[in-house]
Amino acid sequence: MSAGKLNTEGILLFEQPFARVPYENYRKVFRTSQKSIEKELGAVQTAANDIAERAKSSGSDTDEAIKAVDGMINRVENLKRKLASLHSSAGTPTISVMRERFKHLNSVEDMQSSNDPEFARWADTRLDRWLIDWSLRNSKEKTAKMIADDRGVERLVDIELFSDIRRIENALKQRSCTEALAWCSENKSALRKVKNTLEFDLRLQEYIELARAGKRLEAIAHSKKYLLPWQETHLPQIRQAAALLCFPPTTTCSPYKRLYDMSRWNTLIQAFRLAIYNLSTLPSEPLLHLAMYAGLASLKLPACYDTQTKNVDCPVCDSSIGKLAEEVPFSHHVNSTIVCRITGRIMDEDNTPLAFPNSGQVYSKEALVDMAVRNEGIVKDPQTGESCEFHALRRLFIS
Amino acid sequence: MEGPLKELTKLQKLVSDSSSSKGKSPSINDSLDSLLQSLQEVKDRLQHGTATDETLTILSKTVETRKKEVDDRQKEVYNALAKIGKALDKKFQTPLPTYSPLFSSPEANAALERTIALHFLRTGQFKTAETFIEESNVEIDLETRAQFKELHDIVTALRGQDIGPALEWAERNRSFLHKRSSPLEFLLHRSRYMRCLLSGPPDRGDSIAITYARTHFPPFYERHEPEIRRLMGCLLYMPFSRLQTSPYADLASPSLHLDLEPMFAKEYCASLGMSRQVPMRVIGDIGGGGALARIEKARNVMRERKGGWSQTEELPVSGWIEIPLPIENRYHSIFACPVSKEQSTDQNPPMMMGCGHVITKDSLQKLSKPAGRVKCPYCPVESQLSAALRVHF
Repeated sequence: MSAGKLNTEGILLFEQPFARVPYENYRKVFRTSQKSIEKELGAVQTAANDIAERAKSSGSDTDEAIKAVDGMINRVENLKRKLASLHSSAGTPTISVMRERFKHLNSVEDMQSSNDPEFARWADTRLDRWLIDWSLRNSKEKTAKMIADDRGVERLVDIELFSDIRRIENALKQRSCTEALAWCSENKSALRKVKNTLEFDLRLQEYIELARAGKRLEAIAHSKKYLLPWQETHLPQIRQAAALLCFPPTTTCSPYKRLYDMSRWNTLIQAFRLAIYNLSTLPSEPLLHLAMYAGLASLKLPACYDTQTKNVDCPVCDSSIGKLAEEVPFSHHVNSTIVCRITGRIMDEDNTPLAFPNSGQVYSKEALVDMAVRNEGIVKDPQTGESCEFHALRRLFIS
Repeated sequence: MEGPLKELTKLQKLVSDSSSSKGKSPSINDSLDSLLQSLQEVKDRLQHGTATDETLTILSKTVETRKKEVDDRQKEVYNALAKIGKALDKKFQTPLPTYSPLFSSPEANAALERTIALHFLRTGQFKTAETFIEESNVEIDLETRAQFKELHDIVTALRGQDIGPALEWAERNRSFLHKRSSPLEFLLHRSRYMRCLLSGPPDRGDSIAITYARTHFPPFYERHEPEIRRLMGCLLYMPFSRLQTSPYADLASPSLHLDLEPMFAKEYCASLGMSRQVPMRVIGDIGGGGALARIEKARNVMRERKGGWSQTEELPVSGWIEIPLPIENRYHSIFACPVSKEQSTDQNPPMMMGCGHVITKDSLQKLSKPAGRVKCPYCPVESQLSAALRVHF
């Protein structure tokens, strides 16, 4: 590896969600503003056309006209207020989060070397962000908030997004689809774009619950209203749902037993999670896991699991981390690197490897010279206890 | 991130509060204000009876014009947003890979929680560590917590230029440090001595420093004689401004004091059998610094070639999937046989031939000739197979 040069591409691979989440948030702000504008100005336009029309055809009733104009003024003022409050409460803060994050990424692009103290600080922050992401996904909100607060990185993490996720998931846990459906309708076009059918699954679950409660007529009405629109893609499921009404919740007939199974709710929670992660471009696995997977796979060697060759400085040699590393492949190397077990330094032309003549234990010249100087020219192998004169050591050649 | 930042600035100008119109169409606020004004005028005319049928027709047109202005402005904002999106697409061309759940077994989860708890302690985030321990099932014994607390306190003191606690610890652990040939204790004294010299009272700094040296340096004379001589020699080049341009300029450098912090942390951790670097930072920096990207490339190739690759298999064996590691992260020796290119194992260990060249046992056997002789592939020397020595790195 060329002297600590930063691999910007590799670093940015992790940062897409970091930049995307506030961007998507702003798009939501924009959509909200668009909806208000369409609604209010559309109504104003209709009202204006109306009174103009009426004036032409039947002569104007002044009182009516004044009332209509008042209504229009009201609507426009209302719209102004709405837009202003949306701008100050959501628009401006989201833009400044976006700016801060883009700048944060920009700063790492400008750094040259991993030895740069600036980079050390940047990487500290990155680890904080990963730990917060991990904590939020593992229902440890207090820890997440504590790190964010302590390190001053609130704007660099998505605590709000995750508390939204939590709120909707909790509702699903309480067997209520309402919140998740509201989320689906907020994100309708985005979900359609990625062909996500969470909405159908939620509606189907509502239907199943009606069937479970024996409310057949309501179930049929529900199916007509909410399931039928999906008939192009989900006809078999809709048919099966219809047949469900013939089976009681205690049925042993397996397709219908599965529909009645309460574990479907957990599946819905999973599906919702995947959908919201997908729309926010968050990976399904915590970023910390991905980073650790790749980091451990780069470091893991059989030597990490052998008490003879463990190195206290090696992360994978730690018993807990070693446990995690069981899930990753061993690193692969085509070039030799010989590390001195005494000094921890790499041996090369300037610091050649020397072997004890009988045991074949190899250490760096640097370490052995130091030992010889302090022991009147005698060196002793710390592993086997073999000792000899310094000049009896054998020089190795590693190509 | 220049591209996205540039587009963001454009968006910001379009939606900013100030009515200084930066877009092609007037700001929405302005359009709405002028619409309000028109409405108000019409209302006044209606109330004063000066309105004609024409007035209302014109009003309907005005509404249409204003509405169109607003729509145009929204379109501009929409386009500006889309441009940011495109700039982001360009910047982030590879999506994050998907993996089936990692570290999800109860054992792995426990190991991860423990690792994270230790990370908080190690980095001095004690309150966070407490909160985390409450929120998870991990248990860290009090002794370990106390050790991290001590580490943190001493390092904090060092940062505040107080070497007292560090010195006290070094004295307590003198024999440990001695065994590691660590100069920590001496370097702590050196730092204090230089501080006396450079930041003591202007007229008495020298004499305070000399007294300090006389009290504390003698035990170190044997091992650090040349450095002690330099430390005394630099007295001739006082004050600070002169020292900086003298042969002793290095003694004026702040790194003399700043380096103590990592050095202390390293020795302290070693004394407890902990790694010198923060493990999660090491793993995260490697994983987040190109390793994942490389693994992904390899996975893609494997997928194309044989239509699958399991997450726990060894990384594909070919040159380019070797993930480069910085020197400070090489913790173990790796011997790759120059003949077979295979990594050595217990069954196929590295063997040193008579000439000193090392190859693996399998390669050695393949190269052997009748009568148990073997010709080194890297030099002209021929030696006895039986004389090859198994080496341990």
